[in-house]
Amino acid sequence: MSTSKIVELYGVSKAFGALTVLHDIDLAIQEGEILTLLGPSGCGKTTLMRIIAGFEATTHGRVIIKGANVSNLPPDRRPVNMVFQRYALFPHLDVFDNVAFGLRLKKWPKAKIQEAVQHMLHLVQLGDYGNRWIHELSGGQAQRVALARALVNSPSVLLLDEPLAALDLKIRHHMLAELKRIHRETGTTFIYVTHDQDEATILSDRIVLMNRGRIEQIGTPEDMYAKPRSLFCARFLGETNILSGSVRSSESGVTYVDVGPGTMKVMTNGTALSAGQNVSLAIRPEALRVARKAEFPGGADDHNALEGTVEEVVFMGSRVVYSIRTPIETIKYQETSTMGHAMLTQGDEVRATWRPEAAVLLTH
Amino acid sequence: MLRIYVWLFVAFLYAPIAIITLFSFHASPSLTFPFEGFSLRWYSQIFANPTFVDSLRNSLIVGASTAVITTILGSLTALGLARLKGRVQTMFGLLAFGPVALPGLFLGIALVMLFAQISLQRSLVTVTIAHVLFTLPFFIEAVRSRIEYFDLSLEEAARDLGATPLQTFRLVTLPIIGPTIGGAAILSFALSFDEFIITVFVSGNDTTLPLMIWSMMRRAVSPDINAASVLSLAMSIGLILIGGLLVWYQRRLALSARAKDTEA
Repeated sequence: MSTSKIVELYGVSKAFGALTVLHDIDLAIQEGEILTLLGPSGCGKTTLMRIIAGFEATTHGRVIIKGANVSNLPPDRRPVNMVFQRYALFPHLDVFDNVAFGLRLKKWPKAKIQEAVQHMLHLVQLGDYGNRWIHELSGGQAQRVALARALVNSPSVLLLDEPLAALDLKIRHHMLAELKRIHRETGTTFIYVTHDQDEATILSDRIVLMNRGRIEQIGTPEDMYAKPRSLFCARFLGETNILSGSVRSSESGVTYVDVGPGTMKVMTNGTALSAGQNVSLAIRPEALRVARKAEFPGGADDHNALEGTVEEVVFMGSRVVYSIRTPIETIKYQETSTMGHAMLTQGDEVRATWRPEAAVLLTH
Repeated sequence: MLRIYVWLFVAFLYAPIAIITLFSFHASPSLTFPFEGFSLRWYSQIFANPTFVDSLRNSLIVGASTAVITTILGSLTALGLARLKGRVQTMFGLLAFGPVALPGLFLGIALVMLFAQISLQRSLVTVTIAHVLFTLPFFIEAVRSRIEYFDLSLEEAARDLGATPLQTFRLVTLPIIGPTIGGAAILSFALSFDEFIITVFVSGNDTTLPLMIWSMMRRAVSPDINAASVLSLAMSIGLILIGGLLVWYQRRLALSARAKDTEA
């Protein structure tokens, strides 16, 4: 992957009347990466994408694509193409004419258009579908045509606006794999908008998590999952247990936090925390170790621990998720299901522990 | 049972048309059975009647002018309506469709008074103005549902693929809503061609076909009225066929162009 910036946003704000939907966004997108704009509905991710495409003007700020300021250019003069949420295929044209639309506007010679369209239809595995009408396509096929129609123009950046939202789950997973393959084969930069954290983590090189018109955190899916920087991020990506408490003491990378029944130890790197400060601990369900109290390995150790009762057991095929009621919170514990293994059952008195490195301390 | 019902229903709808058509070709002036053989005498008689030919020509002129003006005004209105939002859209939608509820009688009298106020002589021009007023709400209503259903992201997709606003209209918007607009234009023509009550009030010395047939009826029930009616019916059916053929032909043209490209 090259490291040159293909899209740069500087101080981008957007207001619709009195409502500001984007606040001062700075963002650089690297050439060749799949970058996902992730966030709940209303977080501004779609508006941000529409600003890059040129469908919305910025209230403040600049949009640079390939080093050129395109802030004042209309969509037809920007080197980007978009895949729309509901495909937006032209119903009066067949598959071939849909894909050829952009190239005809560019006045390519017929033979070259023929070749490029066929090549692109093969890439999306619809080689024989050129003469089909749009209404004859399934949702998955329509999505592929929309992809081909955008990609055939060799855009600097391909924008995808929740392209899988209208598809059912099975096809969605298949299309994600397809998108990755097509990305590999074309090397095009993808900017992908979604509210679905699974899509984001499966697909992205980097995720931009947005909330209320601001960027909450940027990072690789692994980073975002392991090191959320805010409560919002910890909660949005995957399940997590949040324990709130206050700082007892903090020095040289080790912080002790009082949470109800005990004091928990957590590793922190340098951030100065004052005693008494309200903080939260985020612990992933799979980072816990849980055993029945009677069978617990025992011994006083460094482990943080909470005791509780198993309240609910949900078998999910490859994994099992337990709800454990503790004196402070009901926490989730997840383990890989092993055939025939004696699992915990409802009503079991258990002890949940975790290593200090497994928890993340959040100040907001 | 259901089959019998269907046949009765079809008979109820089409028997009058069949009978009037049959008797327009009747060799004798009698309007009752038994049928005494075919002839075109009533058609040649009606075409020999200069009043009929004049009024037919007037109706064609008024119908065509009405269709053109209504199509331009109505398409612009409908396109604009689709881009309004919320209560404003509802309000303008109601305002645009409202006149449909006005009785023709009322509209006729109101227009006569208006034309008198601005001292506009009653002529085919006033008839056309009245017909535009009369057909516009129907036109807007006919195209509105299609235009509102029109996915604006199609226009965005076209812009995204490099089309200017004008190219977007020509290559995407118009081809998609075109057949609907064509159909509504034909409807406007047919409404104008048929219109009677308002026309009674606003026409001057030039009479239209329905007025002429009505005045013939007042004098005597003559078989050439059948011929005149069948002609105006054929006119309407012909228009619809032409509209359908146009759409079909365009599609075929596009497909054969494709075939040629593929061979090349």
